[in-house]
Amino acid sequence: MKFFGFIAVVVVGTLLLVATGDFPGWGNPHSPASEGQVSGFYIEQTVNVTKVPNMVTAVLADFRGYDTMFETVVIFIAGIGIIAVLRTFGDTAGKASDYPEPDEGSDIIVRSTCHLMVPLIQLFALYVVAHGHHSPGGGFQGGVMLGASYILLALACGLPVAKRRMGERKAIVLAATGIIIYAGWGVACLFFGGNFLDYASLDPVLPGDKEMARSHSMLVVEIGVAFTVTAIMFAIYSNLATRGRLEKGL
Amino acid sequence: MTEHYPVVILMAPLFGALLATLLGRGRQVACWWTALIALGISALFAVGNICAVLASGEGELRYRMGGWHESSGYEVGIELRVDMLAALVVAAVTLVGFVNTIFAKTRVTGEMREKVSFYYALNQLLIVGLCGIVMTNDAFNLYVLIEITSLTSYALIAMGNRRAALSSFNYIIMGTIGASFYLLGVGYLYIKTGTLNIDDIRGVLQSGNLWGHASITIAFILIMLGVWIKMALFPLHGWLPNAYCYAPSAVSSFMAPLMTKVMVYVMLRVMLWLFGSEYVYSSGHVWGELIIWMSIIAIVAGSFLALARTDIKKMLTYLIVAEVGYMVGGAWLVNGAGLAGSMYHIFSDAAMTFCLFLAASIVILRTGDHRLTAFNGLFRRMPLTMIGFTVGALSMIGLPPTCGFFSKWYLISGGIEAGHWAYVAALLFSSLVNAVIFFRIFERAYFGNLKGVADEQFPDDRDSAPPLTLERVPCSMLIPLFLAVMAVLLVGIYNNTLVSWLKAAMPPL
Repeated sequence: MKFFGFIAVVVVGTLLLVATGDFPGWGNPHSPASEGQVSGFYIEQTVNVTKVPNMVTAVLADFRGYDTMFETVVIFIAGIGIIAVLRTFGDTAGKASDYPEPDEGSDIIVRSTCHLMVPLIQLFALYVVAHGHHSPGGGFQGGVMLGASYILLALACGLPVAKRRMGERKAIVLAATGIIIYAGWGVACLFFGGNFLDYASLDPVLPGDKEMARSHSMLVVEIGVAFTVTAIMFAIYSNLATRGRLEKGL
Repeated sequence: MTEHYPVVILMAPLFGALLATLLGRGRQVACWWTALIALGISALFAVGNICAVLASGEGELRYRMGGWHESSGYEVGIELRVDMLAALVVAAVTLVGFVNTIFAKTRVTGEMREKVSFYYALNQLLIVGLCGIVMTNDAFNLYVLIEITSLTSYALIAMGNRRAALSSFNYIIMGTIGASFYLLGVGYLYIKTGTLNIDDIRGVLQSGNLWGHASITIAFILIMLGVWIKMALFPLHGWLPNAYCYAPSAVSSFMAPLMTKVMVYVMLRVMLWLFGSEYVYSSGHVWGELIIWMSIIAIVAGSFLALARTDIKKMLTYLIVAEVGYMVGGAWLVNGAGLAGSMYHIFSDAAMTFCLFLAASIVILRTGDHRLTAFNGLFRRMPLTMIGFTVGALSMIGLPPTCGFFSKWYLISGGIEAGHWAYVAALLFSSLVNAVIFFRIFERAYFGNLKGVADEQFPDDRDSAPPLTLERVPCSMLIPLFLAVMAVLLVGIYNNTLVSWLKAAMPPL
């Protein structure tokens, strides 16, 4: 078996090496991917057509917003799938815990540091979400930070404390709400006569002109992404760490 | 309004899935109604979509997501493209999804208990993914949607019995390798062409005359490898039998007819639209002949492996492996008949596999036995279910007027036209083996327990025994079976119309 594996690796490796020899030079400004019509349009026109200085966010949330909506759905599926597979409902009292009883929140240094850090992390996360279309950042990054703040809380003070702030039901509702915001915003465009996710058609209800409507809408969908990512990060962590029992654990 | 149909088809199950998650585990009936209504809307609009494509002059609909118009001939946003083939496949996906939801009603409460809402959510998201794959005209968007279908199917399979988790894990490893190969190939194409739109990539390949470049050839090989792993072409089929066999019955009856077929559609899309038939079929490549031989091996090996199984569902899953060989071979015969047969077989195989899986699930649940011994004397005990099973089986063997006959007819005439006698022989051989397999079952079902065949020859495999058995087969299972039988017959009877529509969608060879 190892021998066949070796053969497969050698063949695929050779293919990849041969293909690499055929590529345009590293960082070549005249390669199709850097100079092509599509990337040329993004580089020259993004600010004009969307009023968003961060080109990456414009590609992610507007030009290819349909992809990003489904990427958010992928994250949602990952969370729901893990809950669906791991979560054990009903009585788990009979089964002894695999882990020693955690002395929850006994360490005052860890607890105090965590209480100091969590608000700061969350504040910065909100900034990253809100400022995503002007500077590096966005819904995915901000959402991960928000989710991490809850995980930090669970690590330092025990899962029950974190669950009081983000219960299981709450996490699922929050995750679904995020996608409803994103996809619902796209459907709203249909009612204003545009195509799906055509933010420009929303300019009657949003302040500013058509281009500003695109910029505002990007903020809205980034917030939707952040909702889903936050909730799913914490749901995945809490289910994996407690083998789906959502009690004690760690 | 007509132009927005594709979005409605995608959004109805998406919101249905979110609603099912929000309803939660307390409200199982409400979850079922949500799924049923959402998929019903989706199926309705999918049928409307076929009419819209027929009514349109060019025979295709294009839809620009985000309303982004092209810039100097290139799409800057993501575009959907629905031609007749895509519209028909989408209709098949949503209709099977809808009918399967009726079938699932009583099963999921038993098999999933508290997780019913997650089942309905994941199932609808799987349908969103499959419909999206079929309609998109963007090579990267296709990858994102393959990711959606893969993740949902891993989770759905893992919700099955004890062995399901391990088979799902196998599937995750294989599926991830396949998806990575596809993504790598798309990455190479982007480096060389600077665009992701399928039509634009073909245009750049043509105008820049990039066909001779090594990286384009390797991109094609990588994408093909990835798609083959996903569609379980022999010998890359290792993940399929266990995954479909140990999955919950409502899951396998949806995935077995559709997942591999949609990947065959992706293969056709990549061959004919992404790279273009001039490139793929050009005589300068060695692969054409090689791939037909691979498909011949797949057909023969799949049939033999099916013959050797004593477990009903395992046997059916190996038949799928053989059927995948049919379609891959037909697509590489380089003539209209073979290609039409390959496309037509997507629908006929979906119909008959659906029919057989529904009937087999009912038999296994009613008798509590998952081996071929379950069929002893069944014609007397369960006549309706056995009629359904018989129609599906006759279609697998290839008797008129079932759809299996006509797809074999087109494929064999394609093989004769191409002068590829080994492929023709493999198809006939597979028909013969199917006849042996199914008449063995009919014999048991008519004459009860055969003398001389001891039960010990059918090793029991306790883990795949269903947790619950039925006292009586409910209508919510027989009606879907009846609809599947109708599909097998209708796809067969209207084969002429279907094939003429498919031929219109085909790019010139």
